[in-house]
Amino acid sequence: MSRERVLVAMSGGVDSSVAAALLVEQGYDVVGATMKLFCHGEDVPDRPCCSLDSVNDARRVCEQLGIPHYVLNLESRFGHDVVDNFVEEYARGRTPIPCVRCNTFTKFRDFLKKANAIDAQWIATGHYARVVDGELRRGLDENKDQTYFLWGIDCEVLSRMMLPVGGLDKAQTRARAHAMGLEVIAEKPESQEICFVPDGDYTRILEQRLPADAPALSRGPIINSSGAIVGEHNGFARYTIGQRRGVPGGFAHPMYVIAIRPEQRAVVIGTRDELLGSGIIAREVNWLTDAPSIGDQVSVRIRHRAPLARAEIVRLNGQEIELALDEPVSAITPGQSAVFYDGERVLGGGFIEASRSLRSALPVLAA
Amino acid sequence: MPIDPIYLDHAATTPVREEVFEAMKPFFGPRFGNPSSTHRWGREARAALDEARERVGRCLGARADEICFTSGGTEADNLAILGAWRALKAKGRTAVVTTPIEHKAILGAVHQAAHEGAEERFLGMTPDGVIDPASFDELVDEKVAVCSMMWVNNEIGSIQAVPELSAKAKGRGAMVHTDAVQAFGKVTIDAQTQQFDFLTISGHKFGAPKGIGALFIRRGTHIEPLMHGGTQDRGRRPGTENVAAAVGLARAAELTLAEGEAHCARIRKLRDKLEAGILAKIPDAVIHGRGAARAPHIVNISVPGTDSESLLMALDLRGIAASGGSACQSGSIDPSHVLTALGVRPDLASAAIRMSLGVLTTDQSIDRVIEIFPALVAKARQLAVAE
Repeated sequence: MSRERVLVAMSGGVDSSVAAALLVEQGYDVVGATMKLFCHGEDVPDRPCCSLDSVNDARRVCEQLGIPHYVLNLESRFGHDVVDNFVEEYARGRTPIPCVRCNTFTKFRDFLKKANAIDAQWIATGHYARVVDGELRRGLDENKDQTYFLWGIDCEVLSRMMLPVGGLDKAQTRARAHAMGLEVIAEKPESQEICFVPDGDYTRILEQRLPADAPALSRGPIINSSGAIVGEHNGFARYTIGQRRGVPGGFAHPMYVIAIRPEQRAVVIGTRDELLGSGIIAREVNWLTDAPSIGDQVSVRIRHRAPLARAEIVRLNGQEIELALDEPVSAITPGQSAVFYDGERVLGGGFIEASRSLRSALPVLAA
Repeated sequence: MPIDPIYLDHAATTPVREEVFEAMKPFFGPRFGNPSSTHRWGREARAALDEARERVGRCLGARADEICFTSGGTEADNLAILGAWRALKAKGRTAVVTTPIEHKAILGAVHQAAHEGAEERFLGMTPDGVIDPASFDELVDEKVAVCSMMWVNNEIGSIQAVPELSAKAKGRGAMVHTDAVQAFGKVTIDAQTQQFDFLTISGHKFGAPKGIGALFIRRGTHIEPLMHGGTQDRGRRPGTENVAAAVGLARAAELTLAEGEAHCARIRKLRDKLEAGILAKIPDAVIHGRGAARAPHIVNISVPGTDSESLLMALDLRGIAASGGSACQSGSIDPSHVLTALGVRPDLASAAIRMSLGVLTTDQSIDRVIEIFPALVAKARQLAVAE
């Protein structure tokens, strides 16, 4: 009886390295692969996923584990599905979340194809999340939970996915790395930024890819919620909802970006209260379980690491959903994800289209 | 791991031959001297180096002083292109001609020459990877400093008519370089009767270790050195010589030529069997360069509806080592610039698998590949349909 084969996505970081090592320990026939998603002109040290150093680290870990390692070139797909979309979203005055698109379109779909090609029954990653009974659940380490980025994956992927570090916390993962002699990567720093934005300055990517006179990067008014011009900005794509930096001072209360109106090139600012929303409209909804019904209660997260909020589903048609929040939530940002939970279970998610300042009532159902 | 792995990547590199290893050993031991030293250790090393130079020269129909040892093919290619261009640019010869299917070592060096002011000219190719004579006539004119063409293409094996084209180019006053890294031992090379000015060989492609190659530089040809330092190799290539590797190169070159015809006949037969076996099971497989005169050791095949990245992984996991397009430094595979330049459809270019035969190839290994490759292809195509 031959051992079951697992294709592990290895970024060269500690999480995916430990994931691979654990699977080797458990007796699987493990094959490592690093996805090359983009190419920096110059090498940027310690970048996750893609720089030469990361590929080399993954290769060294595989060498140490005695498993084969391959590099998968997904540059053109990543460029199309993720980077192009990232630029378009900012140009539309939204704040995109490229990791979700990468997981949804690039990583898991393509990775599963590669797994099929080499007769691997399973795929594995180093995400902090768990698959239990074919359902996606939050990682045991609440601080590290990455389900916020995973809601978009195809449902079928779940039945073939293993997440070996989802039951550990970060400290345990590092400890396992040391215990297994993976000193190469055991203390590698965390990656927090977007992988293809090496220095954290996403506007540089926009400047490279948008025309010089793109509205998103051109001057426009800063207005308050009643429409009065209170200042000027040099491109709405440089702003995101909830931001304070770059917002004019001199008001009675601290002011925040509360909306972006690309059609007027306007950045709207307001008080902390004006930043609150009571409802969420999300699109491109994907369910990882049976779809819930109107009237169901869910927990929703509207950005990475934001607390969970209670909400009720008030509208559900096709791939669009509207939720009414029990308590108002700050900085609901179009382009970010809304991820729906029932306890630890991930039900699904969608991309935030808009927020509502007033709580919508449930539609009156026809008798 | 599979019981009996099959190495079909001889165009990438070959194992060091036992006889070569033996020949090199004394120079890692008692005969460790520096050939530039005047004492007995130095003299011993110098004698070995001189002899190696002479022997490599003989293998190419060249004299000892026409052989410049380098670190390998890339250095030799760079030395030829840039050395010739830099020496000639002051004389009004401002163009560098090459083919679009060269190794990156040539393309990179030509690009550098262009950066230094040269005019890059790329020869037109037939779809099978042969230089179009009309394009050659048009582009190789009195403005050309150096014309470089790969004798045997490393990806598809197509052979250029280097002797004839060299004569033509010489008639127009251009310097001629040929990258013979894949050609050595596969075609007849004779510097006495053929008119190229520079010729590159690389040891690890025929049983010598990695890190040694040679550039033939015709006597009386002036080139600018790439590196500056001591007077080794007449100042063309400063740095203490790699005596052991030079001795290994000489031994490997001699063995390769001695066995040349028999070896070529053997692998040609296996190559033909491999191609026929695959085509019998995959009738729509495309073998690149098949219409051209080809070296016997390279098969480059694209199966519609597959991709080389997946197929190479699957082959490797079944113990079969082949290669795809140009592997980049990270190890990821980009579509081959060679196939792209020959007008191969992008989907076919990204499906290309190169299998290259050599000393390790046996009849049984070819039988196994004829079994396994079509089975993996069938599976890949099924998956492609399902997806």
